[in-house]
Amino acid sequence: MSRILNVVRLQLVNKQTWVWIPLIVLGSALALSIVIYAMIPSDGPKYGGAGQAPLWYFFALGLQALTLTFPFSQALSVTRREFFLGTLLTAIGGALLLTAMFLLGGWIEDVTHGWGVNGYVFRLPWVWESGPLAAALTYFTLALFLFLVGFTGATIFKRAGALAIAVVGVGVGAVLVGVVFVITRFELWGQVGAGLAGLGALGLALWGLVAIAVLAGISYLVLRRAIP
Amino acid sequence: MTAVIEVSNLAKRYREKLALDNVSLSIQPDTIYGLLGRNGAGKTTLMSILTAQNFATSGDVRVFGENPYENAHVLSRVCFVRESQKYPDDAAPIHALRAARLFFPNWDQQLADRLADEFQLPMKRRIKKLSRGQLSAVGVIIGLASRAEVTFFDEPYLGLDAVARQIFYDRLLEDYVEHPRTIILSSHLIDEVANLIERVIVIDDGRILLDEDTDAVRGRASTVVGDAAAVDAWTAGREILHREALGRVASATVLGRLTPEDRAGIVDAGLDLAPVSLQQLIVRLTQRSGDDAPAASPLAESHGEPLSLTKEVR
Repeated sequence: MSRILNVVRLQLVNKQTWVWIPLIVLGSALALSIVIYAMIPSDGPKYGGAGQAPLWYFFALGLQALTLTFPFSQALSVTRREFFLGTLLTAIGGALLLTAMFLLGGWIEDVTHGWGVNGYVFRLPWVWESGPLAAALTYFTLALFLFLVGFTGATIFKRAGALAIAVVGVGVGAVLVGVVFVITRFELWGQVGAGLAGLGALGLALWGLVAIAVLAGISYLVLRRAIP
Repeated sequence: MTAVIEVSNLAKRYREKLALDNVSLSIQPDTIYGLLGRNGAGKTTLMSILTAQNFATSGDVRVFGENPYENAHVLSRVCFVRESQKYPDDAAPIHALRAARLFFPNWDQQLADRLADEFQLPMKRRIKKLSRGQLSAVGVIIGLASRAEVTFFDEPYLGLDAVARQIFYDRLLEDYVEHPRTIILSSHLIDEVANLIERVIVIDDGRILLDEDTDAVRGRASTVVGDAAAVDAWTAGREILHREALGRVASATVLGRLTPEDRAGIVDAGLDLAPVSLQQLIVRLTQRSGDDAPAASPLAESHGEPLSLTKEVR
């Protein structure tokens, strides 16, 4: 166990990647949003997607967690399993921290009535409609999911090269197009929309956890035979 | 003594190339090995399979009697820093060493600090900005200060100047005497490490060509020095590995162990015996093996006629 925790410390050697850049992304996205909200001449509440920026950054984080640290972890005689679990633990910690910041941001927006300009970055009604806990789960799941997409992609790339990643990308794209085709062909968009709305943020987050488990399983299996 | 590493019938095939071909080895504890061979001979592949960083196509590897793959118990006693080791981008040497300290139970921070000082390693400069030599120094320090029971050095000296290389050799030997362990040093600066290594493993084109005590290898050839005519007379009919002459004085290295009659003959001819260059011997050995196995069919079954030089090994 201590070796797994040491992998967390090893990951956090990349302070710029794990701490400073996400803080910069979050801070500047927030600041820019507030400035833009202030310029919009409307008294109604204003919502924006800038809060997503640090969430998307978790994708890059997942990529880098593998490419920057896996080869060095091998030189330190860390097993692949220890590396995987330690990295996952780091990501969970990072996602929790981000979630805490989003909750805090949502609370500040509530108290200050949208930074005094009635503009909201964190407290999006669709996410918060089932309460702060559901909102927290949504943010956490999204961050961790994006991290694992990046991590899995980087692992496949490390194991099998650019061609494999292209094939997987095209494969996933083809499946999505297939799904869209089926939905369109059978004119199911109405039901899909209703279904998504029915699921709500909380339901989607729970499905996200399933996706996270699947991605974690895939990346672990691929990593087990990866060569630094 | 029980071997720390046992390798049997190890093979590694990359798509079109057989990088390791039926390699069997037994590495003894508390010995300094020289793993010698040309670029692409399979040195790095062998070491990375022994440390479970890479995977064998077939064959068996035991480290401390166990399979090293995903085996933290075994791996924590092993250290292998590659020649082209990648480090985290943001890290400075101080971070890399701090991380190494976390994972190697025998880590000696004092030794690491002292080495960093001697190599004049800028501890707080980002690793991306280090020179090739400074990068090598990071690997050397991790390898030495980890004091792992089995330590691999893969061409550790790239970019290091002569002074830094000497520091490495000196500290390696010093620390080895105080803390005996198994060290496997891959190198093609053979003469530089010749005095360091107790046992020589020569690998060529994925095959083990030689696995012998350094002294025994040296005994396989002799260098005679003296009057050029006398040297030529004495070496007539023998296999000459190397000959050089300066004015009327010549030195010739000939293959084969000396019999008492040979020694008497050398004295009678007024010639002297000189130390044999391990490098010349091994270069010659590797070249001959290349002639034997035509490059056109690297995948062909092992070559028919074993070399006279290596016959005793097999």
